[in-house]
Amino acid sequence: MSGSHDHDHAHDHHTHPHAEVGATGRPGYYDMLETAVRELLIEKKYFSAGEIRRQIEVLDSRTPALGAKVVAKAWTDPDFKARLLANGRAACEELGISFYDDTQLIVLENTDAVHNLIVCTLCSCYPRPVLGLPPDWYKAKPYRARAVTEPRAVLAEFGTIIPDAVEVRVHDSTAMVRYLVLPMRPKGTDGFTEEQLAALVTRDAMIGVIPANEPEGARA
Amino acid sequence: MTDTANLVTRLPNDIGGLPAGKIEQTDHVLEPWEKRCHALADVLDFHKIINTEEKRCGVEALGAEMVGKLSYYERWIVAFSNILFRKGILTPTEIALKMQEIEKRWDGHGGT
Repeated sequence: MSGSHDHDHAHDHHTHPHAEVGATGRPGYYDMLETAVRELLIEKKYFSAGEIRRQIEVLDSRTPALGAKVVAKAWTDPDFKARLLANGRAACEELGISFYDDTQLIVLENTDAVHNLIVCTLCSCYPRPVLGLPPDWYKAKPYRARAVTEPRAVLAEFGTIIPDAVEVRVHDSTAMVRYLVLPMRPKGTDGFTEEQLAALVTRDAMIGVIPANEPEGARA
Repeated sequence: MTDTANLVTRLPNDIGGLPAGKIEQTDHVLEPWEKRCHALADVLDFHKIINTEEKRCGVEALGAEMVGKLSYYERWIVAFSNILFRKGILTPTEIALKMQEIEKRWDGHGGT
């Protein structure tokens, strides 16, 4: 991390000390504040300790592998793809991916004519039920600030060059509406199984900052 | 616009389109308390105690200095505390006493 000119907000980079944690295991201020809020609310019976434990398990169960499964299914099953584009949440639920919140999911298909990119300029809204938690860079200022006004420059920093003839659409997420990018199926994958296809789909491809991976041995 | 108008039209979270530096492709594995904080946020939402928009707004209400200096989940837990005070669900005194108890508990048991 350089941080040379991008302000002194070390937002999500954890540059500030958590000295107590490393040295003695003694909890830091915010760790104790979290414990205090949680324990008080449990004592007051707003919810149970078990609910927190179960939600930690839910969070641990959500990884980009779920989104990759959705993408691979859409690549191989046109009817599913149509349902996915019509109602992202319902189609994911069909595959057994539960939505633990009230959010809707809009799936955006990349084509030869349109490249989609997702961002949350205000905070960090992200399709968590299908991708898990967002990476730190998605929540930090440079991506949030720049994605909406200079998406091609942002994409270039991820090594993605979008031809001028291809339209770039940026989608700003909200508390209630989340987006997922359906990348283009890579060439050279005819006859691949859903599992083989899913292995080519990364988190970043479903955010829209890179394409899906080419199969090994394919020419770029 | 006057030189203060941008303070009115741009709240701290509203950074879309502002100039900013290069994207550093950083990530980190959540610390245990950060993951608990995230689960707490979800459970607060399920019980309709604090929803996502209240959380976002609560972070914004921390003001630019705290938004700038606190880490992501630090902002969340401080915002939750403030919202819970405002809703009359918790008081600052209760939090202070509970944090003292947690410290004593840790000192007494070597932190388990």
